[in-house]
Amino acid sequence: MIATQLAKYAAFSRIAASQARRERNELYGRMAFFAVILGVFSSLWRAVEEAGMPVAADPKSLVWYLAATEWILLSAPPIHIEIQEAIRRGDVVYRLGHPVSYVVAELAAGLGLLAVRAPFLGLTAFFCAFAFTGWIPPLTALFIVVPFGFAASAVITALYLGIGLLAFWLQDVAPVYWVWQKLMFVLGGLMLPLELYPAFVRRAAVFTPFPSLLAAPASFVLGTNLVTPGALAGRLAFWSGVTACAVSWIFRRAASTVTINGG
Amino acid sequence: MPPAAAVELNQLSKSFRVRRARETGVETRVRDLFRRDTQTVVAVDKLSFAIAPGERVAFIGPNGAGKSTTLKMLAGILRPDAGDVRVLGFVPSRQRRQLAFQIGTVFGQRSQLWYQLPPRDTFELLGRVYEIDPGEHRRRIDTLSSVFALGALATTPVRHLSLGERMRCEIVASLLHSPRMLFLDEPTIGLDVSAKAMIRELLWTESERERVTLLLTSHDTGDMERVCSRAIVINHGRLLWDGPISALRRSYLKAKRVTLWSDADRLELTLPGVRVLSSGSYRTELDISLDITPLGQLVDAALRQASIRDMAIEDAPLDDVIRALYATASSASVPS
Amino acid sequence: MVAENLSFARALVTTNLKAAVALRGAFVIQVVFMALNNFTFFVFWWALMGHVTTLRGWRIGDIQLLFGMVAAAFGLTVTVAGGVRRLGRFIEDGALDTLLTQPKPVLVHALGMHAQPSGAGDFISGLIFIVWSGQISWRATPFVVAVIVACTLILIACGVVFFSLAFWLGRVESVATQLWELLVTFSLYPEPLFGGTLRLVLFTVLPAGFVGYLPVRILHAPSLANVAILLLVAMAYLCLAVLVFDYGLRRYASGSRFTTFG
Repeated sequence: MIATQLAKYAAFSRIAASQARRERNELYGRMAFFAVILGVFSSLWRAVEEAGMPVAADPKSLVWYLAATEWILLSAPPIHIEIQEAIRRGDVVYRLGHPVSYVVAELAAGLGLLAVRAPFLGLTAFFCAFAFTGWIPPLTALFIVVPFGFAASAVITALYLGIGLLAFWLQDVAPVYWVWQKLMFVLGGLMLPLELYPAFVRRAAVFTPFPSLLAAPASFVLGTNLVTPGALAGRLAFWSGVTACAVSWIFRRAASTVTINGG
Repeated sequence: MPPAAAVELNQLSKSFRVRRARETGVETRVRDLFRRDTQTVVAVDKLSFAIAPGERVAFIGPNGAGKSTTLKMLAGILRPDAGDVRVLGFVPSRQRRQLAFQIGTVFGQRSQLWYQLPPRDTFELLGRVYEIDPGEHRRRIDTLSSVFALGALATTPVRHLSLGERMRCEIVASLLHSPRMLFLDEPTIGLDVSAKAMIRELLWTESERERVTLLLTSHDTGDMERVCSRAIVINHGRLLWDGPISALRRSYLKAKRVTLWSDADRLELTLPGVRVLSSGSYRTELDISLDITPLGQLVDAALRQASIRDMAIEDAPLDDVIRALYATASSASVPS
Repeated sequence: MVAENLSFARALVTTNLKAAVALRGAFVIQVVFMALNNFTFFVFWWALMGHVTTLRGWRIGDIQLLFGMVAAAFGLTVTVAGGVRRLGRFIEDGALDTLLTQPKPVLVHALGMHAQPSGAGDFISGLIFIVWSGQISWRATPFVVAVIVACTLILIACGVVFFSLAFWLGRVESVATQLWELLVTFSLYPEPLFGGTLRLVLFTVLPAGFVGYLPVRILHAPSLANVAILLLVAMAYLCLAVLVFDYGLRRYASGSRFTTFG
């Protein structure tokens, strides 16, 4: 019984993955963008070093830190766009009649996309960070980052799903996405480790999933280890649960307000 | 002085170099730009015809026949490779802007109405596009709105309109600047029967009233028969037939569709020129070519098997006629 | 002719404004959130510069001015010529056909058709950053206006060139969007961070240098000559864009694209 259900959703993942493999342009674009960002920041950290490092870390490891956080973030496919389109077009109404959970199916598809993006972007991260710094962190650190990074990306994908579902009420979810993304940048310590932010930012971050999704997994690269692997696993499990509840609540509210336009 | 013909084509030709659009990937596309492995496909092949002002012409052909390509060349969207074309005295590819003031277009699959706004706002914007005097434009909007019975539709956001209602507004939008010629590409596609009927009647009336020349492409024979008086049939970019629609059916296929109701469940009618479409439940439907088997012979054969309780005889559906035309590879033949 | 085009562009923007305001709630959210988006991103710089007071000669005020210029120019681009980001899709989907049957210049029409008034969010936040930087005196306001206009023209021109690639390469949505994002991204970082060859790129094919860095330099010591030069550069990019688009449109009219015909 469960096996059939899983197989059903696994099919969504497979289709999404093969679609991602065929539409590689967007992925190549992300890879190029990623390389550029790493280049800009390696320059930035060297410039900061000239002025005096504000944190007990050297520019090289900070570039690898960024490589890790950006890898996690960029791997998560921006499925909110597609979901918004489906809702706008009204396609979603027909999916509601199918014997699959729309939300789980979309998530499965998103995870399929993630499965294709993460390795490509991971390789980009590795080679570019190495090219810009001439240094590789201890491999044990990288081995810990990878699985936690995947898990974090999966949670981010689910969060994007939730944002996409807001299209039931908002015509355009893009502005919400952009603000959400910037909050993730700041509160998740994407470009700057959290300890460099003022105290009130750090206090606010605790109430969000962002530090557990970005800063904590990447901190293994820095060697600062914000949390132990066990504790991080627990945190990710907690935030996964919260996300799952939030997304299904949004969807239940949305499905009850569906109206169809036109004749 | 108005031109003698609204549309004049002479040996109009257009070919495309087709590169098969393979897998996506910019690198493939860039390479394709420099590669020579292309195939030349002839879309329009020495097409010639003329349309008089005020005529309503159906432009018919199967998919890939070259209809849209021809229409685009007439509207100034595509440049022809060879031949001459004049629309309302203008050469479309060279005098696109001047021509634009005189023509209107309705693409069934595309909308020029702004989705979030009521059609009236698009109408006002079009007044700016066509540089119409604001007072005159407002009067024109009111006139057309009443002719097309838009009522409250003009002030309802387009996203709340049904397809039929939207189409009426699209046609109004295309007529606002009083064009002398209207190009319609599948205007009734996706509409229900009553919406189609309304659109057809409005097009016919408006064309009559304002002497607007219509060139309409459609797969729906109803569009052709109810709106147009003349049909131009093309296939593989070549003219197959050009003449009045009534003559199309009469002269091309001497076929009738006969329905017989008898007191036998099925009828066996194997006569030359007779094709039984269905027979059962006391009803037999068949097509008959009257130049091969006269109607009398058919009735005799039926009476030998059962009593005929009722009979209906209709002209062959226009669809069949056209399908027969497509099947022929003959070039243009104007009926006597 | 120019006056007629400008007046038509204004009509397009007005109609777009009506469309945006038709969904009032969504419009307000968009404006507010785009501004919020910029302020949130800036927190990174605010935190970093709190620790390192200068970064290769740049202080936080310089970065605020940089942010302000880019946000204002970007906001104006989106508000007036929002169709630029959709140009690739327009070309690919054949949506230019309808515009070609109308008597207005296709490029102006295409750019204005999807003007997004929500760009006001970026524009307003840009102005706030500029004032907040404390680097501009009120007397320099005309220079600020001229510089913003120049940057906007350059952004529009680059967008037109990037997305016009669709005339030759078909589905370039992601490549063109990527180039566009790179342009905006590079504009937001202080130029002293970049090395020699990259600087060359940033003042030619990806003119982030003209959109961000140079305006900041100019506004530190505004002069008529500097501003005039920037405006001339902007006009040059604009001319290039119009040429590329025209050339592409001629190709479009010859029908050699990756689409099927009928």
